[in-house]
Amino acid sequence: MTLLAGLALWVALPVLGVALLLTAARIGLGPSLPDRVVGLDLLSTLGISVVAVVALASGNDVYIDVAIVLALLSFLGTVAFAAYLERSR
Amino acid sequence: MSVRELLAAVLMLAGVATAFLAALGVLRMPDVFTRLSATSKASTLAKMCIFLALAIAFDDLGVATRALAAVAFVFLTAPLAAHAIGRAAFALGVPLFPGTKVNEMPRPQGNVQADPDP
Amino acid sequence: MLVALLLLTAAWVALTGEVTLANFLEGAVVSALLLVLVRFRGRLGFRLSKAPKAAGLLLYFLKELLLSNAAVARSILRPVSSLSPGIVAVPLDLTSDAGITVLANLITLTPGTLSLDVSPDRRTLWVHALDVADPDAFRREVKEGFERRVKEVFE
Repeated sequence: MTLLAGLALWVALPVLGVALLLTAARIGLGPSLPDRVVGLDLLSTLGISVVAVVALASGNDVYIDVAIVLALLSFLGTVAFAAYLERSR
Repeated sequence: MSVRELLAAVLMLAGVATAFLAALGVLRMPDVFTRLSATSKASTLAKMCIFLALAIAFDDLGVATRALAAVAFVFLTAPLAAHAIGRAAFALGVPLFPGTKVNEMPRPQGNVQADPDP
Repeated sequence: MLVALLLLTAAWVALTGEVTLANFLEGAVVSALLLVLVRFRGRLGFRLSKAPKAAGLLLYFLKELLLSNAAVARSILRPVSSLSPGIVAVPLDLTSDAGITVLANLITLTPGTLSLDVSPDRRTLWVHALDVADPDAFRREVKEGFERRVKEVFE
């Protein structure tokens, strides 16, 4: 195993896992709906990071396309949430 | 071990550290706006670092172009998403952190009450 | 028109990562079809004389991004009571849609500040900042740092 793949597996992924738990805590705590949307947005960023780190760990470049598509979709999701929130008042 | 691999590793770890800081920020900050401040740029920087690490680690023109396109896309969309959430939060009347020093923005018309969990 | 076709073809070749004549021709055909499909007319809205100023803006932005990320990291790690956030109204000298959009996005991307809204008459930009000790100094900083540079490029 190369150094890069080792670091990705044993350092980057565990740290991202803890970050995911912290963000999940914020989504659970709220207190308002926009807070949860901020949490979801960060959750998608962390998901993209996980996919990209898996690409580095495995050396398989197919995962890069997955990360890019996730980035495109999460932006649409966040904006849709925000538009819904603004209209719902 | 090559210089390229080392550079990719450093960029990846910097990106992961920034992402972790963003998660810590979203948990610790006191109101929506400070949380948005903490997450929107930290997550932009994190995504930039990790995609650059990808571009460097794979010695391939196609991968590098796609990674750089992703970075450009993140730079274009991240502020828009943050702006959309911030505006929505303000329009909903989400309360500001009590320690807020100044507020020069008028409250939304119609005196909307903050609804903690609709 | 020809410039747009060349740029699209170059993007195709770079994205597929195959620098061969066959791939180049394939990219040219796809790009031409694309331009016909979107009914592309005229030219790209970019003047070459603005390129140095645009590069300067980009460099200034990258510097701000890296330098002040440390400040946000510090405010995340410090106790919450030491924060002094606020919403500041920044008067705008910019008038064009493109200029205001770029300024608002740059403000959001630099750490510690977040553009919330533009007033309906487009004279004021409301910015949320993590640390406003002095609103007037903050206003001056935005106007003399980012707005001047954006104005040079976009207006």
